[in-house]
Amino acid sequence: MDRNPLRRQLQIMRKSFFDQGYLDEQFVQLEELQDEANPNFVEEVVTLYYRDSARLILSIEQALERKPFDFNKLDAHMHQFKGSSSSIGAKKVKAESTQFREYCKSRNREGCTRCFQQLKKEYATLRKKLEAYFQLARQAGPMETACRPK
Amino acid sequence: MIVERIVSETKDQFPIGMRVLAVDDDPTCLLLLETLLRRCQYHVTTTSLAVTALKMLRENKNRFDLVISDVHMPDMDGFKLLELVGLEMDLPVIMLSANGDTKLVMKGITHGACDYLLKPVRIEELKNIWQHVVRRKKFDRKDQNNSDSQNKPHAGSGEAAGIGMLITV
Repeated sequence: MDRNPLRRQLQIMRKSFFDQGYLDEQFVQLEELQDEANPNFVEEVVTLYYRDSARLILSIEQALERKPFDFNKLDAHMHQFKGSSSSIGAKKVKAESTQFREYCKSRNREGCTRCFQQLKKEYATLRKKLEAYFQLARQAGPMETACRPK
Repeated sequence: MIVERIVSETKDQFPIGMRVLAVDDDPTCLLLLETLLRRCQYHVTTTSLAVTALKMLRENKNRFDLVISDVHMPDMDGFKLLELVGLEMDLPVIMLSANGDTKLVMKGITHGACDYLLKPVRIEELKNIWQHVVRRKKFDRKDQNNSDSQNKPHAGSGEAAGIGMLITV
């Protein structure tokens, strides 16, 4: 464990994301791509994800307000959203996306609406956690060596 | 020109400097793909539009060694791009998708994709994609008698149909 208290806190925070299922192995892939040439890569990708996926969330929201539901369109939006989310390792968000697509396949309006509310919750929770994480990382300063999780 | 010099220097170190055109309308996925490909030491050009990709390829088909493209894109179906690239430029194309449905994978292969990767792509998979370029060059020559098959990556059965296997070390 790191002697620097801020970095220790950072490691604990990071571990909790994996232990509580917010992030999966894909996030580690992002960390491995971060180097001297690309020192803020993880934050960049996450920021890009939240910025870009906002429009998908909005499209899905609008589509859910239309009657009747266009399940094919909903599924197409969610397919893309799932692809993005899995690229950053957003495990819970990805799981909700998969569930949503199942509801689309079975033409379940109730299911889609409920699932989407849950998805938005997970999406927002992850964002808050990652924002806090990056802020702490900036305060803690650069790590001397990268630590691989178990 | 400096660009030409860099290209000719890295040509001898193939697959280092292999020239890849990456196409994906999702900016997060495209940024990740680009970074992964650069980590493999390939030379990467990106675009979020299939029509732009086609335009670049049509302008100079010798500018790239391989194309890697998402299946679902708003301006053009990835399979359509795949077909056109196969017909016009005869370059190896790898399809990418978050959807691993067997029917879609089959569609990709029958439309001429030399591989079909699931998102999120891992760097280990991208480290092997250069084999498609070599394999294609080998069969283009149709020089079966002289080919040094012991040293080339072994493709296995089904290679005539374009369905190759990648050796993962």
